[in-house]
Amino acid sequence: MSSDQAHGNEERGLNPADVQNVRFTRASMLRPGYVDAEVDRVMSRVAEELARHIAEKAALRDEVRSLRAYVDGAPVQEAPSDQAVRILSSAQQTADAYVAEAEEFSRQMTSEARTVYEEEVRQARENAGAIIQAAQEAAAKMTGPAPAGADTPGRSVEELEEQVAYLKAFGSAVRVQLRSYLEALITDVESEWGKADPGALPQGPPRPPAQRSGRGTGPGGATAFSDNTVSPAPSAEEDVSVAAGARSSS
Amino acid sequence: MDIPAMRANFAKAAATGDEAPLYFYSHLFLSHPETRAMFPVSMAHQRDRLFSALGDVVARVDDLDALVPILQQLGRDHRKFGTLAAHYPAVGGSLLATLEHFDDQWSPELAKDWTDAYTLVAEVMTAAADEAAEQPAWWDADVVGHEGRAIDVAVLQVRPRARYDYLAGQSLSLETDIRPRLWRYYSPANAPRPDGLMELHVKARDGGPVSSALVRRVRMGDVVRLGPPVGHITLHEESDRDLLLVAGGMGLAPLKALVDQVARRGPARRVDLFVGARNEDHHYDRADLRRLEQENPWLTVTLAVSEDKVSSLEQGDVGDVVMRHGPWLSREVYIAGPGPMVDDTVGRLREHGVPSQRIHSEVFAPSRPGPSVDGEVTE
Repeated sequence: MSSDQAHGNEERGLNPADVQNVRFTRASMLRPGYVDAEVDRVMSRVAEELARHIAEKAALRDEVRSLRAYVDGAPVQEAPSDQAVRILSSAQQTADAYVAEAEEFSRQMTSEARTVYEEEVRQARENAGAIIQAAQEAAAKMTGPAPAGADTPGRSVEELEEQVAYLKAFGSAVRVQLRSYLEALITDVESEWGKADPGALPQGPPRPPAQRSGRGTGPGGATAFSDNTVSPAPSAEEDVSVAAGARSSS
Repeated sequence: MDIPAMRANFAKAAATGDEAPLYFYSHLFLSHPETRAMFPVSMAHQRDRLFSALGDVVARVDDLDALVPILQQLGRDHRKFGTLAAHYPAVGGSLLATLEHFDDQWSPELAKDWTDAYTLVAEVMTAAADEAAEQPAWWDADVVGHEGRAIDVAVLQVRPRARYDYLAGQSLSLETDIRPRLWRYYSPANAPRPDGLMELHVKARDGGPVSSALVRRVRMGDVVRLGPPVGHITLHEESDRDLLLVAGGMGLAPLKALVDQVARRGPARRVDLFVGARNEDHHYDRADLRRLEQENPWLTVTLAVSEDKVSSLEQGDVGDVVMRHGPWLSREVYIAGPGPMVDDTVGRLREHGVPSQRIHSEVFAPSRPGPSVDGEVTE
């Protein structure tokens, strides 16, 4: 019994020599077993010693742990190794570079797009401005008074002068023609009338028909017409003659 | 805390340029993989931002009065990213590892100083975030209107699902699922309305991932996320001076919100709004401005074009056009637009004699990552 206990405690730090040196008085016929008091005393001493050892060991273990924690740095977790830090750092830098590149690309694209856009808008605006200005000028020319332009009206004045000259020439030609026609008509009337009633004639020879065509007859008048550029004198003369003839006959 | 030693140590890491932040984030993602999802695919801009923010903190580390408000703002801002208190130790661990990695004279004393400093920073930031916990970390908002106004400009109507308080003229950060984890700043073009509707003016920047998605891909029915409002272009409560508003390009939005504010809340005052653009096509909001002008007798809107010779609008840079009118000596002046336009107009008005403290300006430039620690909002 007692030896069992002794063996069990031995592993917990009881000095083996102490235990080996314990000698209990052998039991005899008269006194079987050891002296009780002796045994008890030894056992209690052993127990005390054991308790002390156990406590001391626990204290030392705590101290070792706290010292170790202090040595390893405040956080008890293992600190990342420099190698790990380096690897993560370069991974992070790679990521940063990609993001920066993407942002730079986006920046270039948008700024280029904006430049193009603004240029287009600017040009469109300028074009629109030019168109409006041209329209306004045209409107002013239409509604405004003639003095506006300098060379275009000059050209039209020239044209007008040409036209006026043409019309003047035309008018004088017509006048001449008309006069010749009327003179011829009168001559015709007078000659016809003289044939019908010579006594009604004012006196002597009928006045000389036309100033120019002193010959006096109708066809003579026609020569005067042919000088003029405008109308086919003979037919007109014929017409008129017929008409005059008709009237006079009625 | 040995601040000079810490600064010297930080300078070594900062001197490596991109190396140190690259190491930091890789370390963070390896030791806490769950944090990766909080960041965009490309970390390039993020890395710049981290070390510039850290640099600001290090520069002010011995001036707590200046530093604490910055950290509080940062803490509140980070809520919309889904940052939790549990993330702070993770960041601290990786930060220490980074600072150690780039310093061959790293010492236990430095480690302790940095740990202490970071703990303090994290405490201030988390405390500020906790204080703001009664308001949402972000607001979901429905896109209820999307109108293309020019080849690269759209006007969006969005309605937050929860109450969203802001002041006319402020900006807000916005994220769309089409471009996750990329937040950009925009100004509502109206004062707060009873129905919560907000009008956002978006110009697609060439290669800008968020702006071009908002102009060309977002449609009615989509949902965007809004961060808390920021920015300092707001009307001063105590002043009822007449206003001079000068807008260039997309800077129109916050100034139109100020007009709306006067219309809704008063006090009654004369308002002259000048809007400059390159040509008539770029006056994307012309019709609505004319409507406002007709409805409000106190409002005068002048449109100017700088590169459009055939236009009947006023010709010239908007700053130049402003100076042809006037005088403006008694006005409260608000200017918003691209950097050169703002500088030019501010310069002219100062020369004109308007006191500097009555000139308020905000620069609207492509890709506003967020407010700097000084509270400046740049688009």
